[in-house]
Amino acid sequence: MIPEIGHIFLIITFVATIMQILFWIYNIKSFDGFTVHILKRSALMNFLFILSSFFILTYSFIISDFSLLLVSNNSHSLKPLIYKISGVWGNHEGSLLLWVLILSTFTFLISIKNSSINSKLLSSIIGVQTIILCLFLAFILFTSNPFERVQVLPLDGRGLNPLLQDPGLALHPPMLYIGYVGLSVSFSFAVGALITGQINKEWAQQMMPWITIAWSALTIGIALGSWWAYYELGWGGWWFWDPVENASFMPWLIATALLHSVRVLEKKLVLINWIILLSILAFSFSLLGTFIVRSGLLTSVHAFASDPSRGVFILIILAIAIGGPLILYALKSSSFKEHKVQFNLMSKESAILMNNLFLTTATATVLIGTLYPLFLDAFNGNKISIGPAYYNATFAPIMAPVVFLMAIAPLLNWNQTKNKNLSKKLIFLIVATFFGMICLYMIEQSSLFAVICGSLSIWLFSGVVTDIISKIKESKIKFNKLRQFFFFISKINLGIHFAHIGVAVFLAGVTGEQFFKTEYSGRKNIGDVFNVGNQSLEFKKIEMLDGPNYRSQTATFNLLKDGKIINKLKPEKRFYPTEKSQTTEAAILTGFLGDTYLVLGDGNKEIGWSIRVYFNPLVSWIWGGACLMALGGLVSILQNRKSRKIIN
Amino acid sequence: MNPKYKRLLILFLILSILGVATKLVLMALEENIIYFYTPNELKKKYGNVKNIENKIRIGGLVLEDSVVINKNESIFEITDKKDNIKVFFKGQLPDLFREGQGIVAEGILKDNKLIANQVLAKHDENYMPPEVADALIKSGVWQGEKKK
Repeated sequence: MIPEIGHIFLIITFVATIMQILFWIYNIKSFDGFTVHILKRSALMNFLFILSSFFILTYSFIISDFSLLLVSNNSHSLKPLIYKISGVWGNHEGSLLLWVLILSTFTFLISIKNSSINSKLLSSIIGVQTIILCLFLAFILFTSNPFERVQVLPLDGRGLNPLLQDPGLALHPPMLYIGYVGLSVSFSFAVGALITGQINKEWAQQMMPWITIAWSALTIGIALGSWWAYYELGWGGWWFWDPVENASFMPWLIATALLHSVRVLEKKLVLINWIILLSILAFSFSLLGTFIVRSGLLTSVHAFASDPSRGVFILIILAIAIGGPLILYALKSSSFKEHKVQFNLMSKESAILMNNLFLTTATATVLIGTLYPLFLDAFNGNKISIGPAYYNATFAPIMAPVVFLMAIAPLLNWNQTKNKNLSKKLIFLIVATFFGMICLYMIEQSSLFAVICGSLSIWLFSGVVTDIISKIKESKIKFNKLRQFFFFISKINLGIHFAHIGVAVFLAGVTGEQFFKTEYSGRKNIGDVFNVGNQSLEFKKIEMLDGPNYRSQTATFNLLKDGKIINKLKPEKRFYPTEKSQTTEAAILTGFLGDTYLVLGDGNKEIGWSIRVYFNPLVSWIWGGACLMALGGLVSILQNRKSRKIIN
Repeated sequence: MNPKYKRLLILFLILSILGVATKLVLMALEENIIYFYTPNELKKKYGNVKNIENKIRIGGLVLEDSVVINKNESIFEITDKKDNIKVFFKGQLPDLFREGQGIVAEGILKDNKLIANQVLAKHDENYMPPEVADALIKSGVWQGEKKK
């Protein structure tokens, strides 16, 4: 009975959204206080109903109600509680419900948060959000109902794919979805501007925190996914340019471009059309990402059961959600009054413009690499795959100038012709990087690309340091009191520094992992002692152990230094009887300077066990850098709120 | 600087970046594409060619009783029930590698044998790599999965 209530809640919300949309269209000529009031209330109602429905589904998973098809297919009574809960979104239907839950949450938050937005714009924003919500609810109700019952009650569930039974992955989809769906807000702002025909600096300021939240969440979501792939798949890498990874990376790139260009609009009325187009594009890529992954068009762990009837529906949604706004854009975009572009070449604006140009071009190369195999298959049936080599040859060279500019751009001033002390700062920057380059060059086995990649990291890091030092000098503050220190902190744009340092840390990690990795692969037997790089390993024993819902073959290796045991590594092979599948659990010793990564393969006493060992220098910096970037986003939201309060 | 020249300069910059990017993409596509064949398709396409320098992917089922694993390498045959290709692989076989399972091997063809640098099997027991499934259905060997 309870699941039916959840289903009915979804149906009620779906019907309600249709009525809200009709109401919205009827009043589109004259949005007044009353319309806004109604729309706000309905946003609250939609949110509450979907939230209840989501809770009901979660409840069914927790009590293992196997009369629900979704639960019996994706859960098992013996599964730990956290994976019962994460199982809710570990499948197609449940993840879509999570999607609409986040969407309605965002809509509700806009409706209560932004009271300063004028009623016309706010009505348009809520209206557009409601249309998206309605489309997704239709998709859920007609093709992917999470509350479907089974015909015959099974004794127990079929379990969740063991690869997905993991804490990192429990959080990965919600974070990613907050990012994807968060971009719907800037999308609605853009469409709202097209409907009302009004755009101003306040528009940009009000939109900014939403993009920042979405961007930060997306950053964390992607990083979690990459981290999971690193420790769970046992391939020793952290990014494989898999189409599914690309699907989440493309909206991130566009969102990054948007995040920067909106800052220009906050200052002066230029680039309006470009920003509106970017906002529409960013969310389009999110939709494309959601559906590319879910439709089974691409294959990976993410592609849940695919069903052709969904394909048509997906195309319809994409056509309405992307095509509609683009047509509106073509009709209305010329009506915006824009200041004539009078960019000084050495100004922040032009640097951001270049950043946008490079980022969108880079996105295009990723898009081509992702979709080209699909097109080729459709046209002449040739099946191909495009691997990392393609992206190294296209994406990397296009992104290098972005990092180059990233160090300089914060040093430039808005609009100004003369930059004080710019040449001094640049000289400092160049000297610092030059020393870094020499150090890098001296490291053994370093290659040209290693030096380039590493230098970019140092270049960026020095850029941020230069910026902070020069600001300290300019502010003429004496740091003898803690209060003055905080005053200074509140003056500078801390978020940007965090985010840019994050990129520098990330690049350092990439340099270490890509160019200075050592690897060994072969067969070893119990008792063998062998060297990998400058480390020595001893194969101690291998045994069978029982886990909560799996059996495991666990090997023990001793990490030796001067004949003494300094650490133990226990790689496993796990067998999950319920799901009838086997997974590899790599043993990873995480360190600040690098990871030792050991994978156990097949084998027996006669020929030994196949093992792979990697030493990945600085690899954890990759995710550390991503966390710093996301932190930068959060800091800048908090700081902006504070400064706005001061102004008010 | 004259605004007109400035605009021209910006336009020139944009065009040159796009131009370089296009060139990079085309070059990379030409060099880094890996084609997928089943053993039978490979035979049809290349006939008696015994060596292929570029990387290719071969997909099919692991032939029953063909797997030999010794200390240095694993040797097995991939079949589409029409033709077989022998594969040599030095690395670690994936968890779901077993006889009769659909897999994809990537490598170069040398003397009619695939020297693989990568062997892929997907994560799910019921799962067939889609390229393999397509090819097997096309050649009539396999009817495809029954829909639940």
